[in-house]
Amino acid sequence: MNLDEILAEATGPSIPQSTLDLQELSRVWVAERVAPELLPWPETLMERVLAGIRRQVEIVEEQTGDMDSKTNFKLIVIQTELERWKFLVRSLLRARIAKIDAHPHHILFTISPTLASQSSSTSYNPDLLSPAESNYLHTHTALLSSHYSSSFLSTFPSALQSLDDTSGGISMISAPDLDTAVFVRCLEDCTVERTEGGESLILRRGDVWVVRWRGVKLKVERGLCELI
Amino acid sequence: MALPLPPGLTPPEVAFLCEMELVTVIPRQRLDGLELLGGPTPPLTPPLRANLPLWLALLLKRQRRCNILAPPWLHPASLTSILETETEHSKAAFSPAPKLPPKSLSSSSQLTLSPPFLPSSTADSRADALPFHWMEMGELLLSGAADDIADADLVRRLLRDLREVRMAKVRAGVEVLDAGGGVQMNGVGGMEVAEGRAFIGGVVDGLRRIGASREQVKREREAEERERGLANTADDDYDAMDL
Repeated sequence: MNLDEILAEATGPSIPQSTLDLQELSRVWVAERVAPELLPWPETLMERVLAGIRRQVEIVEEQTGDMDSKTNFKLIVIQTELERWKFLVRSLLRARIAKIDAHPHHILFTISPTLASQSSSTSYNPDLLSPAESNYLHTHTALLSSHYSSSFLSTFPSALQSLDDTSGGISMISAPDLDTAVFVRCLEDCTVERTEGGESLILRRGDVWVVRWRGVKLKVERGLCELI
Repeated sequence: MALPLPPGLTPPEVAFLCEMELVTVIPRQRLDGLELLGGPTPPLTPPLRANLPLWLALLLKRQRRCNILAPPWLHPASLTSILETETEHSKAAFSPAPKLPPKSLSSSSQLTLSPPFLPSSTADSRADALPFHWMEMGELLLSGAADDIADADLVRRLLRDLREVRMAKVRAGVEVLDAGGGVQMNGVGGMEVAEGRAFIGGVVDGLRRIGASREQVKREREAEERERGLANTADDDYDAMDL
């Protein structure tokens, strides 16, 4: 422990939880906008954020009756901030829906324990979607496949009717490209695998790197690195 | 419903992030502390300085309720010396960004803060380093609070110069990009990442694809040579027998 660390601990003001939530929400949002694949749903964070937004909306509704110019200006500030938070949440959800729409069958395989065990390329992760998103995914794929089968698939031979066929060496299920290059900022010293089985990189706190997503995925999920 | 944008932040989104940075203001009117979603704001009492997020500072500035104190690195003298570092001392790399504060050990469970939530543009921040959101911060302050910045025209020109120098470095850095990824870009700014992402990411991914096919070609060639090698030895044997 050096002097800076001791000083930082002694003098560092305690940061309110709501500020930490804003930091975390922005980080989750940036990561979701940048990462090539869908990231796990931040359940507890989103509960806190949505509860906070609800509370703030109630305050605004209660105080809009006051015509006093001072409260009026306060309300303008509160509402401006509220809109910023709403934008973050909305943009996060829309980015997630875009990824769900892009690879529906891949995500179905990921969230279902039986399907994930059959496939070699996907790993089981039940926390990937929120209940609402999972509902959306199931309904959407069901609608889509019933539409396809009624409009043209039913005229095909029965062996060619499935939408998630993986036999014959070629998988019909499109998956995101995990080797996409991403920009990361290292928050804690760590080592990252550069290529599969290849040499590894040592990332120091504060460094910015362009690396493959596959190599830093776990570090980002554990908070050792952040996407920028 | 679904977001129709490609991966990566758009410039307005980067500016949105930058608006969460704290700046120092000198209030001209009294304003009580507010309980905002992102934490409480300090009560404003003229002429005491206070730190506010940039979006709020710009809102107050627009209504002439406060003046914004330009961050130390945005002064012409600091920008000139940073520009000199960029052009004279480190010809290939960016000038170093302000260091992340040391991580306190006791609060290991606590979230690590990073830009834009570190005070890198308040009145007591460092003058000799460009923060992550330097370009956006400079641009927003010059458009929203130009009268609070000493020598705004000179600052604008210096920022433009810095941008040119640094973009040239990004372009020159393309030569070191390789398929394995793993290129260090310390000191790069948020807007520069947004601008360079499509290009740098595209080059790295493209090289990887070329590399993959080259690898496959190499493997095929090796297999072919092995076969031909066998055929050659057979021919040699034949020749030897002929003689």
